[in-house]
Amino acid sequence: MTEPTEKQPLLAGIELHKTYGSTPALDGATLRIWAGEIVAVMGASGSGKSTLLHCLAGIVRPDAGEVRYRDRELSAMSDAERSALRRGEFGFVFQFGQLVPELTCLENVALPLRLDRVRRREAERRAAEWLTRLEVDDVAGQRPGEISGGQGQRVAVARALVTAPRVVFADEPTGALDSLNGEQVMRLLTEAARQAGAAVVLVTHEPRVAAYADREIVVRDGRTRETVLAPR
Amino acid sequence: MSGRIDRQQTGTGWIADLALGARLVFTGGRNGLVRTLMAAIGVGLGVALLLGGTSISTMLGARDDRTAARDDQFIGAPEPPPGDRTLLVANVDTEYHERGIRGRMLQPEGTRAPVPPGLTALPRPGELFVSPALGRLLATGEGALLGHRLAQPVAGTIGAEGLSGPGEYAFYLGTDQLEPGVTGVRIDHFGSDSTREGLDPVLLLLVLIIFVVLLLPIAVFIAAAARFGGENRDRRLAALRLVGADGVMTRRIAAGEALLGAVLGLAFGALFFLIGRQLVEGITLWDISVYARDIRPSPALAALIALVVPGTAIVVAQLALRRVVIEPLGVVRRSTGRRRRLWWRLALPIGGLVLLLPLLGGIDQTGRTFNEAQVITGVVLLLVGVAALLPWLVEAVVRRLHGGSVSWQLAIRRLQLDSETSARLVSGVAVAVAGGIALQMLFSGIQHNYVLSSGQDVDRAQVAVIGNRIVDGVDVGPLNERLRAVPGVRHVFGTLDTDLAAVGTPREADGYRPSNALRIGDCAVLRELATLDTCTDGDVFALAGNGEENANLPPLPTAGQRVELGDRTVTGWTVPAGIRTATARPDPIGREVTGILATPGAVEPGRLAGLSAFIYLAVDRSQPETLELIRNAVTTLGPGMQVQTLDATYRVNRFTQIRRGLFIGVLATLLLLGASLLVGTLEQLRERRRMLAVLVAFGTRRSTLSWSVLWQTAVPILLGLVLAIVIGTALGTTLLAMVGEPLHLDWPGLAGMSGIAAAVVLLVTAFSLPALWRLLRPNGLRTE
Repeated sequence: MTEPTEKQPLLAGIELHKTYGSTPALDGATLRIWAGEIVAVMGASGSGKSTLLHCLAGIVRPDAGEVRYRDRELSAMSDAERSALRRGEFGFVFQFGQLVPELTCLENVALPLRLDRVRRREAERRAAEWLTRLEVDDVAGQRPGEISGGQGQRVAVARALVTAPRVVFADEPTGALDSLNGEQVMRLLTEAARQAGAAVVLVTHEPRVAAYADREIVVRDGRTRETVLAPR
Repeated sequence: MSGRIDRQQTGTGWIADLALGARLVFTGGRNGLVRTLMAAIGVGLGVALLLGGTSISTMLGARDDRTAARDDQFIGAPEPPPGDRTLLVANVDTEYHERGIRGRMLQPEGTRAPVPPGLTALPRPGELFVSPALGRLLATGEGALLGHRLAQPVAGTIGAEGLSGPGEYAFYLGTDQLEPGVTGVRIDHFGSDSTREGLDPVLLLLVLIIFVVLLLPIAVFIAAAARFGGENRDRRLAALRLVGADGVMTRRIAAGEALLGAVLGLAFGALFFLIGRQLVEGITLWDISVYARDIRPSPALAALIALVVPGTAIVVAQLALRRVVIEPLGVVRRSTGRRRRLWWRLALPIGGLVLLLPLLGGIDQTGRTFNEAQVITGVVLLLVGVAALLPWLVEAVVRRLHGGSVSWQLAIRRLQLDSETSARLVSGVAVAVAGGIALQMLFSGIQHNYVLSSGQDVDRAQVAVIGNRIVDGVDVGPLNERLRAVPGVRHVFGTLDTDLAAVGTPREADGYRPSNALRIGDCAVLRELATLDTCTDGDVFALAGNGEENANLPPLPTAGQRVELGDRTVTGWTVPAGIRTATARPDPIGREVTGILATPGAVEPGRLAGLSAFIYLAVDRSQPETLELIRNAVTTLGPGMQVQTLDATYRVNRFTQIRRGLFIGVLATLLLLGASLLVGTLEQLRERRRMLAVLVAFGTRRSTLSWSVLWQTAVPILLGLVLAIVIGTALGTTLLAMVGEPLHLDWPGLAGMSGIAAAVVLLVTAFSLPALWRLLRPNGLRTE
């Protein structure tokens, strides 16, 4: 486990409030993430954990409260600045992989690099390396529709890590997988993140998935409660 | 999904499946309903246009019947003797701001004189009856200048039965100033059997092809619109498979959904048609307006539309399902399956050419008939070939495309995965452009037959004022002064013409008196009519014979000969001894004049009456109201004065109207297809909402996705245009060969059509961007 030894957290959401229509999703949630740690955000369906992740990632602006990343207030950033931040500093894994169906797996992994203006050949070379690390190099030339769900998630993990992000946001990354594939994806995700020194914010409702984390935050009715797990 | 799927494979089962399909549209939530409505609106727009197209013949027929019923120009017919039932009519048509105004002055010669359609009684002298549109114009500031010309009090309105359309400008003015045979023509009835001007075979060919070119893309569009919402429907069908529907039942349920969309589309189409029919009364294009009640679809064609549209929707839905395997656990697209076959797609245009080839050189303006069905089938096959070949072409080309920017890669990969949707949406545009190119080639190839040199010299004058035998010499000086005072008039010159006949020349049985013309003008003016070496006031010139034109005229009088000037009121004159011969040259309106030219020193025009005035004006065309002020200035000399703008060429009216109609039609069709493309693009974007949100989540720029949308539309359009140019040019070449004209590539027409299509792509992209940006909001990631 990586101890939160630095004075300042890498990423912090403080007193976050967010309402969709008349439904409150976050009601004063607070969360701090230190570099290199893996944090599980747990909670029942509808508790607001995905909204918390979206706020922390700068995808959604909170109605109140602040999100700080390396001493920069995300709410004060323009859309373009937040997009650039997500491109360069963050990585994402979603429940269904959400790979672009028309691109091959290799192109999907290379996509964040290409969006960051890395030349195609170089982007695909680095993407191929990550596919190999995640043990899916055999599907590089195939499209997402032609591979299994577990393979798809591993490609999605490769895509999330290919830009060497400081934070990886994973929203129910094993939610659509059987337990064997889920275990494999979590092992590869956490190992790769630790090797790369990336923090992971892991939204899940499965305790066995949360077990891969260093810390556990429980979200209930839009508020957070922290549990420090025993060291593994 | 509720409801059991156990039904016998009987007729009842069929109906139940179709009904279930239809019900799914309503029970499938808001999105499903919105998509069905979009499809129905798309189909409805197409249906409305088709209904409009099938109404054109009844519309033109009704219009022609009304104009025939008010006809008062019986050229070649003997003039009736004056009586209780006769009426003098003067044609006093004029123009205002480039809109034609039909004008007639009426003067009854008896109590039972005929009344024109649209009036209940003849106007009394000084009374003005106007069409509703003209009445509105005169009542507004916009018609102020026209008010100077039509200053009489408006006593009533001309009824619809006396007008060609609701927007027509027309008036009847009562008078007692007309002179039979001079300013008025005597008639004893209104109306001729028919004024319908038959189309020559070449124009008929044009009209037939225009119909095909305009209506075929709409049919393609209807086929495309019927597939809106297809992906969502496939997922619904997969859910039905899960609860026990077999493959055949699934197809029938899909047919039910498509049928509902098509039937709703028919209803929308009828509604749009009825609304459009009402709105059309307020529109006047090139002096043509239409009464709503004249727009009646042919019942047989309307019934055909009602049958074919739902049938097409079902067939299209079934064909689309061929490329999809609907399994209980989801939908699999055979996107990378077998390639499209080329042979049958090529067979269509080749078949079309085979049908047209026997007609090469067989259609000309001599009135020979041709097999219209053969032409229509040939053209339809060629153009349908565009729609059939395009999916193959798009697939074949995008398969070979690689590399490029992220936006390009996203678009190309999308097309590689599913080019059919884009190709289907674009095929209508390609068909319209191919037809448009072919027609433009045909138009430019044959226009020399219809656009003729007028012989008018617009360098010397741009406007002519002509008064035929109605001008008194004393009036001309003040008129010229008034014309010179009009802002924008730079130069005024002209002649006064009268008859010149040997003393004692008898009149013929019909009252005609053989005579030559005497044209009076100063030396500067006479130099416009003849080549003169020297000229001083008092000179007289005999114009050297100009062949055929002089053949039926009496010989010119010689020096010292006594002659009579004028027709009804004659004045004696002796041809001066110093008369010289000169060679005529065409005047600014292209007339090569004959007779004798005289300066005012030789013949004083002030003592002559019933002269014909030919006044030429050089004007500054940048001044907008000059022409109207000129028309007002000449009104003081009576309604018979005509103001004519000069033009180096003139076009046969029908040709011009057809060509303009084509432009409007192609433009309207392409806009409709653009709307279809837009709906299709929005549909695709909505289907990819979650994917777009994910792309945004990991930092994809808006511009990257916007460019991707543009490429995704532009690449199939570009390929469609290439195909359209090839097949359009082939069709154009064939059509030109059919009418015996040499190959003539119409580059401006080609560029124009392609440009319009390119503009459609840009418009579609521009209109889809707001929706794209809305979809790029991170809310798309929410699942709860």
